[in-house]
Amino acid sequence: MFKSIFVTGLGGQGVITFAKLIAGYASDQGLKVSLFNSKGMAQRGGRVTSEIRISSDHNFVYGARLSAGGADILIGMEIGEAVNSLSFLKTGGLVLLINHAFVPTSMILRKETYPSIDQVREVFSQKTDRFFGVAEPKHPYNVFLLGVLGAILESLPEALPGFTCKGLEQTIKLSLKRDLEENLRVFQEGCVYGVQLSGS
Amino acid sequence: MKKMIIGNQAIAYGALAAGVHVVAGYPGTPSSEVLTELLNYAQNNPEAPYVEWSVNEKVAFEIAAGAAWTGKRALAAMKMSGANVAADSILSVAYSGTKGGLVLYIADDPGAEAGMPEQDTRVFALWAGLPVLETSSPEQAYYQCQFAFELSEATELPVILRSVTSVAHAQELIDADFAYQHIDREPLFKRDIFRFTKAGSAICLDQHHSLLARLEKAEKIISRRNINSMVNKENSLFAISAGSLKPYLIESLPPEEGIGVVYLESSYPLDQELIDRVLDQADRIVIFEELEPVVEMLIRSQAGRKGFNGTIIGKMDGVLPRVGRYSKKEIFKGLAALKQESVVEEEGSKEAITVKHPITFCAGCPHRGTYMALNRALKKTKLGKKETIVTGDIGCTILGMNPPFDSCWTEVSMGSSIGLAQGFVSAGVEKPVVATIGDSTFFHAGIPPLINAVQHRANLLLIILDNGWTSMTGFQVNPGTEEQFQNSNTRRVSLDRIVEAMGVDYLKVIHPLEMDEAVDVIKEGLLEKGVRVIISREECAIPRGRREPWQEIYEIDPGKCTFCKSCLRETGCPALSVKAMEDNQVMWIDPELCTGCGLCYTCCRFDAIHSKREVKDV
Repeated sequence: MFKSIFVTGLGGQGVITFAKLIAGYASDQGLKVSLFNSKGMAQRGGRVTSEIRISSDHNFVYGARLSAGGADILIGMEIGEAVNSLSFLKTGGLVLLINHAFVPTSMILRKETYPSIDQVREVFSQKTDRFFGVAEPKHPYNVFLLGVLGAILESLPEALPGFTCKGLEQTIKLSLKRDLEENLRVFQEGCVYGVQLSGS
Repeated sequence: MKKMIIGNQAIAYGALAAGVHVVAGYPGTPSSEVLTELLNYAQNNPEAPYVEWSVNEKVAFEIAAGAAWTGKRALAAMKMSGANVAADSILSVAYSGTKGGLVLYIADDPGAEAGMPEQDTRVFALWAGLPVLETSSPEQAYYQCQFAFELSEATELPVILRSVTSVAHAQELIDADFAYQHIDREPLFKRDIFRFTKAGSAICLDQHHSLLARLEKAEKIISRRNINSMVNKENSLFAISAGSLKPYLIESLPPEEGIGVVYLESSYPLDQELIDRVLDQADRIVIFEELEPVVEMLIRSQAGRKGFNGTIIGKMDGVLPRVGRYSKKEIFKGLAALKQESVVEEEGSKEAITVKHPITFCAGCPHRGTYMALNRALKKTKLGKKETIVTGDIGCTILGMNPPFDSCWTEVSMGSSIGLAQGFVSAGVEKPVVATIGDSTFFHAGIPPLINAVQHRANLLLIILDNGWTSMTGFQVNPGTEEQFQNSNTRRVSLDRIVEAMGVDYLKVIHPLEMDEAVDVIKEGLLEKGVRVIISREECAIPRGRREPWQEIYEIDPGKCTFCKSCLRETGCPALSVKAMEDNQVMWIDPELCTGCGLCYTCCRFDAIHSKREVKDV
């Protein structure tokens, strides 16, 4: 098994923590993991991305960065940045996107319309029909989304084998110190949401 | 012990394992975490090397060189632009050589993900005559750093350890002991003017001979130690990768692919013995390296000397690009050319919609206040924003070039805002010329140009935006950082007293969040003659906010907001967004982001913005 995940969002959304939890879980499962965070402009409201690559073969050598069409899974925490990352998605890959838009000042002032999640789904349809939109995310988005992802992967295990809500919950318990109870509650809600999403 | 670490941390631990005694550097993405990690280690372990953030890269390199000349092991760390700053000393030290291991870590940035020119350190290494060891993964970087010290000591040459963003910031699980292996050495520096000065042609020519002899020795050691590896040794087709592309080439080659492969983990001097073995049997060779065709030039030159009749594919024949970061796409293209197959271009997807999130000052950033005040002063003096040249400098302050400020016209290099401004004045620009620079950038390279401006009676206004930290690269301490936040072995240096001592007669200090006063002072500064310096002082909101929660945030009264958007138009603050009400829209302040800087408050003509505490009082 060799899978690549591309996570994208904006500074302050918890993209890096999300990626760290996935990588940590994979590592705990005895898988080989690499992680590349691009967060140079995070503090300034800029784009943040994480590239995670997971292999079951420890002898398999691979680079930390993804190339175009390299992502089996694309996770978006912000609509605009997700659509900007389309080229990274593999044809037929899995997309999980939160319905959250951060409209830049210049667009507000010029009264331009920001893409909606339905428009984004339409754009992604040229590459995949495995598109999961999270219409009503809960804060903190990263933990909620991790729950949603866990539930989806339980129903589509070939997308990323071995990932379960129960396992991810354990990783959260070991990794997050602050507001653990609250985070676990939101994570559980994410799992429930993910079960509905993958069932529908 | 196993730990998930990034390439830069691996280099830090490699240096600790090599027993490094002295470490100095200046922050610069993507190199900074080497020093951050070592400084952190030094502050938490009784036995540790001496580590410092120096005032600039030239000083950092000189500190490392001085220490290495006593026989101790030393490391200097910087980004590629920093090597330009240190170049004068690096070249000179190259000719003198070293005693103890002297490693110069330089991080390049193919793809310019951190901004700044896409320059290639290996070209600089050819110029300086210094060996370059490449990194290809965090784990390899850990061992390569240790070898760099060894090679430096064996050859008595400084050694460049080079990485790129894709390695420096890649993270993987590494199994090591992550501890300092102290080497006991007395500092011993013997006076030897033939080696450690440059006075006289005889000395310099002799040093040039020594440098070349040391480089030759480096090549022999690199060959003997099998730093570079070869797979499928008997072949007519060869793919050669340099440095960071190794794992991508492995990933791209199916196991059944029988072509010969060479992974170069040192790019200069070229491992001629190994390349000879390729040239002796190959018909076709493809060379993969990011940025400039350095290895390619060296291989082509060796091939020419040998009368190689085959084909060499790379950048110089136009097949592969010189611009940007390589991914599997470029590797597939090169491999197809090697096998004389047509390239199957991966089906590109059209991004039907694209969204740009321009970077801007953080919520609460004092620089926002300074550029707002400058713009208001330009309006009040009728000088006009579009007609008044404002030079920018490196660091967060350059974000003043973006909307809604549109203030800065130029960005060249550390400290360049002042010299450029004097250039515009010398050329006869009649309107006032303004230079803007951050505190750390001023300490780094702004002092000589300001002295120059004073000596030559230049008419310019310099605004030093002093937020007390080197923020753009991750809030490192600099000479001007408040005493209480200095490290245990450092102290504060007074920015104001330096400026005064240079002979600046017109020096004012403003607080950029006190808008009315700031505007008045800048207005006056714009109209005065001679060198005028205004220090705009307020601590960076990020370290400040991390210490204590913000007490007095602002909110918008939806009943009073007319949705004129003046607040957004002038501040561009990321805490401001649009909120839909039942029958209209209003502006809204995100309480999670607001720091209570109050700048939006100064923009509102409808009294709709209040500090929360004020509201409570009413």
